[in-house]
Amino acid sequence: MMRIKSFLNAGFLLLLALSLVLTGCTSKSSSAVKGNTDYKLDKNTPAWKLDKTKKTTTLTWYVNADWWNTDYGHDFVTKQIKKDLNLDIKFITGDDTKLNALFSSGQIPDIISIFDANSQMAQKANTWALPLDDLAKKYDPYFNKVASKETMDWHKLSDGKTYGYSNYSNTKADYDSGIIPSTTAFVIRKDVYDAIGKPEMKTPEQFVSAMEKIKTQFPKLIPFGPGEAFGEILQDYIGVPLQTDSGEFYNRNLDEDYLTWIKTFNTVYRNGGISDDSFADDDTALSDKIKSGKYASMLISGIPQKGSDLQTFMTSNPGKEYIAVDGPQSTVGHEPTLSQSGITGWMMNYITKKCKNPAKAMQLFTYLLSEKGETLTTFGIEGQTYTVNADGKYSFTPELKEMRQKNPEQFKKEYRMGEFFFFGHDKYNALSDDTALEATKQLTAWGKGKLKPHFILEGIDPDQGTPEARAVSEIQTYWDSSLVKMVRAKNDQQFDKVLDSYKSFLKQNNWDKITKIRSEKMAENRKKLGQD
Amino acid sequence: MKRKIVKEDVDSQVFNFFNILLMIIFTAIIIIPIWNVLISSFSSGKSLAEGGFALWPRDFSLENYRAVFRDDSIWQAFFISVAKTVIGATTHVLFCAMVAYGYSKKHLKGRKLYSAIGIVTMFFSGGMVPTYLLMKSLGLLDSFWVYIIPALLSFFDVIILMNFFRSIPDSLEDSAKIDGAGDWKIFMKIYLPLSKPALATIALFNGVGQWNDFFTTKLYITNKALYPLQMKIYEIIVQSQTHTMQNIGASVVLETTAKGVQLATIVVTTLPIILIYPLLQKHFLSGMMLGAVKE
Repeated sequence: MMRIKSFLNAGFLLLLALSLVLTGCTSKSSSAVKGNTDYKLDKNTPAWKLDKTKKTTTLTWYVNADWWNTDYGHDFVTKQIKKDLNLDIKFITGDDTKLNALFSSGQIPDIISIFDANSQMAQKANTWALPLDDLAKKYDPYFNKVASKETMDWHKLSDGKTYGYSNYSNTKADYDSGIIPSTTAFVIRKDVYDAIGKPEMKTPEQFVSAMEKIKTQFPKLIPFGPGEAFGEILQDYIGVPLQTDSGEFYNRNLDEDYLTWIKTFNTVYRNGGISDDSFADDDTALSDKIKSGKYASMLISGIPQKGSDLQTFMTSNPGKEYIAVDGPQSTVGHEPTLSQSGITGWMMNYITKKCKNPAKAMQLFTYLLSEKGETLTTFGIEGQTYTVNADGKYSFTPELKEMRQKNPEQFKKEYRMGEFFFFGHDKYNALSDDTALEATKQLTAWGKGKLKPHFILEGIDPDQGTPEARAVSEIQTYWDSSLVKMVRAKNDQQFDKVLDSYKSFLKQNNWDKITKIRSEKMAENRKKLGQD
Repeated sequence: MKRKIVKEDVDSQVFNFFNILLMIIFTAIIIIPIWNVLISSFSSGKSLAEGGFALWPRDFSLENYRAVFRDDSIWQAFFISVAKTVIGATTHVLFCAMVAYGYSKKHLKGRKLYSAIGIVTMFFSGGMVPTYLLMKSLGLLDSFWVYIIPALLSFFDVIILMNFFRSIPDSLEDSAKIDGAGDWKIFMKIYLPLSKPALATIALFNGVGQWNDFFTTKLYITNKALYPLQMKIYEIIVQSQTHTMQNIGASVVLETTAKGVQLATIVVTTLPIILIYPLLQKHFLSGMMLGAVKE
């Protein structure tokens, strides 16, 4: 009996000790120091200039991407940020698993950057982040001068407050100004184009015959690829309408004009103009194929991302580079509606409720969003790393230009311009000709004036976790495989059969309800955009 | 009688022929892809980009390896990996052996309770978040010891060792006791030397696990100085891909491709552990035979 008692006692003591350790730690982290506002707020001066605190602040910034370069304070850009703001940043990177672990353990960093504005996490930001509107009022009214109102409105949650700010969020004004480069084009190798007699490729018949010519004259090349082009990229390229006339959701996949072109590509496939690998290649394989010029022609999107591959091919094959020409066009007379990064943007940046010094975090956001921060992170400092010439174009100094081309590693390590893009924006890249590669200049120039905002279609999927959301993802998967089957169909009957089964799959999976939700969300979008 | 033997010989010759043929094919299926990875890792970016299969480097180049080793901190990561593998495997084996030694004694008090506790943990683990909380309260976040301490004990290994210890005759222990040896001495001088095969097997299993593990780092480590090779190399691969994404430095003909760097990486991370294998193989084989035949 005695033994059992002492055993129990020991167990109890152990539990007590453990719980003490656990509670001890949690109470420590919850008593976070709140930031000071020793400076007087001024609407016309950014708070970082007013804040004269001597002591260096340290903030932890979590970036939900393993590839993020966590170095801080050693290169030109971050050294300057450190100096201007008297701020040390400790970067942490990870994936969703790590983020979950951090959240569950209550170890929430001061600033968080994530990549999905439609994720649960972003939708529930009011539970863990501080509203930027309030922070601006309290610590840095200048923020409202540098933040875009459209972007702020766009990211508003149902409580009317904005918690996150995204980079590369392009507004209607950005589109209208023509400063955003187009990133979609139909490209063809120059030598191939010349050899087949520079034919028109606008109608299905012209396109099929051009591909046949390539096939016979360049048997070693794949006339058309890769497979990623057949969905939205093609729809945008031939200008399939974004919505119905009455502003409802429109299933662009079933557009007659679009299907005519898919049938055309099916014909090209049957003539041996499209390789089966085009559908299976991963990014690495695709990149290698572009570098070695395997595809005679391509319909590509994301030209800047493919820029270095295109440039590699151009450099090692002078005179054979890919050029943009007028490719497939609508059979019913639609104009192209090329898409680019929309108002949702890319990375979302938040200041969390656990932030040790929200005032400093807000100063940092304002700083990076301001003209000074944007030019610093893109070009550095005028006179030191770049010059502005007579027609207002920014240009790196010759030494830097050389280093950037010949020794990109060193450039990254010492300067890191163009990489610290938490609040990056296309319009700043457009200030210079240096930021674009030689091989992509003609391609993006082709798309000038063909960009149309797709804002109305952003974030219109049913909320995550609902049966409709699951249906949407199933339908998407089904469509992706149907599309490949359609392009690869052996004959017209098979093509129609695949299409019919897609249509019946829609019916079986609540398509009416999904369409309704999407139409409603489109109406909300219209309201946010002030189009009502 | 004589004819029969001849006939058997022909039979077994035929059998051997097909057996060897089959084994050659089978081995080739395993070796050729590995060989291809090794050879391709020595090819230049350009020849890799052309694709296809090669049994010999078409355009010999060390650029892929240069890309992997360009970053000086890779040696630090290599050191961390070796340290965590060596320290981790040694302490794991010793610790498990100690527990198993006690556990193999029938007169140990509360043996059933311990085995119940141990078996429960074999089937149910706390899950990621509670484990994270535990590591946090133990102060192991961002510490080298997070690689070692949580990996000290595996109940499964304890059971294997315990069974092995039980096969050592009690009379050995009795005679040592008569000569005045205590438990420590018996454990160190008799049990451990006699259990080399089992210890080597467990050390190898655990060492390979330690070498390959990157999840621990991913969850608990933010300090890059503590990154092991696996994590460092993961970073290099990801960066070799984002390099093209950020479209920097594309005006020079790239000597490497993301694929080349990946292949070189595979070789760099796999080679050391493969080299250790033959050293332990002798013990390993007898260890695997453990309990195969009952006396």
